[in-house]
Amino acid sequence: MKKINYEFREKLNQTLGGFSHNYCYQCGACVADCPAHRFLPEFNPRAIILQALYGFEEELIGPDSMIWNCTNCYNCYERCPQAVNPIEVIIALKNMCREKGTNPPSVDNIIERVKSSGVTVTKTELVKRRRQELGLPEFEINCSDDLEKIFNK
Amino acid sequence: MQVMPFWGCMIPLKYPQMESAVRYSLTKLEIELVDDSRFSCCPDPIYFKAGDKMRWFTLAARNIAIAEERGLDIITMCSGCTATLCEVNHHLKHDEKLRDKINENLKSIGREYKGSIRVRHLVTMLRDDVGLEKIADSVKYRLENIKIAIHYGCHLLKPSEIMNVEDPLVPKILAELIRVTGATPVNHQEYLMCCGKACQEQQLSLNMSHAVFQSVADSEADCLGLICPTCFDSFDLGQLRVNRNFSKKFEIPVIYYFQLLALAQGASLENVGIKFHKIMPEEFIKRLNTTLVTA
Ligand code: SF4
Ligand code: SF4
Repeated sequence: MKKINYEFREKLNQTLGGFSHNYCYQCGACVADCPAHRFLPEFNPRAIILQALYGFEEELIGPDSMIWNCTNCYNCYERCPQAVNPIEVIIALKNMCREKGTNPPSVDNIIERVKSSGVTVTKTELVKRRRQELGLPEFEINCSDDLEKIFNK
Repeated sequence: MQVMPFWGCMIPLKYPQMESAVRYSLTKLEIELVDDSRFSCCPDPIYFKAGDKMRWFTLAARNIAIAEERGLDIITMCSGCTATLCEVNHHLKHDEKLRDKINENLKSIGREYKGSIRVRHLVTMLRDDVGLEKIADSVKYRLENIKIAIHYGCHLLKPSEIMNVEDPLVPKILAELIRVTGATPVNHQEYLMCCGKACQEQQLSLNMSHAVFQSVADSEADCLGLICPTCFDSFDLGQLRVNRNFSKKFEIPVIYYFQLLALAQGASLENVGIKFHKIMPEEFIKRLNTTLVTA
């Protein structure tokens, strides 16, 4: 039988947005309007919060975790009568994945892009031409000094 | 009226036609845009926030602090930027401990978050500060025979306690803004559905967009109207993917709200970059043209 992992729960409690999982009384109100659940029934925000209450580390932040299928729509945040904010708990868990190195590469890619260029989209010649054609000024980004300091802190 | 436009990444670097349309519309409404090249990515509320929430707060606070230095409110034109900047602004205004922590991070770059400005999506600012009447007055060609299926997207309205726009279960804001252009907003089954962009599993994203396409196709709409470049990405370029995946032949033109408004105010199809859209059936262009000419 699996045991409650209090250590993991404590870590989640300390992670920004993670503490509210404690308020969940498993009513399931967050499930009905979850679009990820609608198209992928194995994904279930109530079940994810239950796993958090048990502290099931591997299921939640292991490499095969379901949580990455959340589409960030905030419907569960709207529905929950207990202010659990399931989406924010999921985001806290995602941050724990990154600490563990089990996050999908898309997360590192986006952070790396912002770190190196300040934005997530690469400047292309095509769009540069389109901007000219539309009579728009060149799009300048002057944040690298600040960002370097923030990222190297 | 002066505001600071926060263009984000997708609009200026992928869909500049949206920027062009917004600039056109706001000139007509006598709103002056004060640009600032020091802004970075908002940063992204999906992946960046999922990977490094503390730096996500810090970078967003930096962006807000830049506008605070000029004493101007920020307007956002992308629902993702809206999500990040509104949420961070809200939490830092209300949570003193968090604000101190973030300001500690900002010290090294000589900036401080004060909590002195508002951040809103442009549609919210238009509704609340400009007013529907003034927008209606700026319309030159009423888009009488255009029917628009609305896609709200997720982050204009939710979480409602932070966004404070209106009840996300029965929103009216986009219908109202469409009506003032003379066009007709059309209800459809999935108008509150998510575009699906953030799911890890590709098939899940495709299923969500497919549900929206089917719903729009079943309605009487001529096009799908929205206010976010990420949703646009899912529905314009994404329509090709969905068609392949589901063996369907959807051909639903997708329009950014400010392209419509600019057209109604007198912009040309070239001004709003219609030709840059992947899905743009001839028939719809004809319909737009007759509307603009006969008016
Ligand atoms: S709605 Fe809230 S309380 Fe109910 S199961 Fe979901 S997270 Fe728990
Ligand atoms: S935010 Fe995620 S978990 Fe919550 S309803 Fe949307 S998809 Fe489901």
